[in-house]
Amino acid sequence: MAGETQERLGELESLTRDYARYSRSAGGLASALGGTFCLLSYLLGGLLPLTSMLRVALVALPLVWLLARWGMTQRYYQRFGHVEEQESAVERRTHRLGLGVTLAVAVLLTASALSNGAQLSPGMAGYLALVWLLVLAVWRWLRSPLDFVVSAFLFCQASLLCVDQVYPVIGTAAAHDALPMALLALLFPLAALLMIARGVADHRRFLHLRERLLQLRGNAVGEA
Amino acid sequence: MSAPSRIGEVMALDRLVHEPARLLILAVLANAKEVEFGFLEQVSGLSKGNLSSHMSKLEAGGLIEVKKSFRGKRPLTELRITAAGRKALADYRQSLAMVMQELPVPGAAVKRK
Repeated sequence: MAGETQERLGELESLTRDYARYSRSAGGLASALGGTFCLLSYLLGGLLPLTSMLRVALVALPLVWLLARWGMTQRYYQRFGHVEEQESAVERRTHRLGLGVTLAVAVLLTASALSNGAQLSPGMAGYLALVWLLVLAVWRWLRSPLDFVVSAFLFCQASLLCVDQVYPVIGTAAAHDALPMALLALLFPLAALLMIARGVADHRRFLHLRERLLQLRGNAVGEA
Repeated sequence: MSAPSRIGEVMALDRLVHEPARLLILAVLANAKEVEFGFLEQVSGLSKGNLSSHMSKLEAGGLIEVKKSFRGKRPLTELRITAAGRKALADYRQSLAMVMQELPVPGAAVKRK
């Protein structure tokens, strides 16, 4: 086998690995969208009066995001054919840990809501439904730590909204009453900003990858 | 190394893997969990028929698994490399590296004269 063939094989291997990332760990513009949704949910939920329109919009955000992410993966980032990314042992363990934590929290919250003996209010039922949807989302779609943090916030904010609460934003009256929670919630807009930056970088990388794939097709047609 | 043993090493290369198109298929599959036929067609530049023929040989040799299904009304073919396929590819690379190392450099031979 000549060096040229070796080189071509090496390029194909790296191209396959790069392309496969967009099936799972790289969201591209969908990640940027998730980060933007996270910022919107944090700021609008904490700063604006909660009208029913705003409430519905914020509750719908995590679902819209998951749908957008799935659609962009299928229709845009994997349009040359689906290639599923290989998962390393560390990634598998991290995913299992995230899933385990989410599942444990969901079980605790459900047990606590049901143990009071009182009938479930529609708001509480919505709260629990969203908590379990988060478990499903973590199991099925969310693989990277940033994806996990941002979607956990979107789902938690949405479920809190079902029971007339939101994460407090620093500087507001609500934050004075719950300062530790407000400080903890600061993590989410920071993660959102990181996710937007990562999403844009991934998208740029994809544009370069797409060029290489189109070149390969062009060469193949030329050779034929 | 003597000439006969060099020839022996070349002859010992796995013919199923050694063919360039099949080597390319294995190299792509080794870097993903599962690959759709369309992607392989895209990166290999091979025709559908040619690709299918190589795929069948690799499947018959137990080096890859082929899963056929439908997405809506569209037929969908997905491929993945087996553990035996990974081993065959690794062994092939190792053997080839050895053969390449032992091959004399033509220029160097002329110089010695």
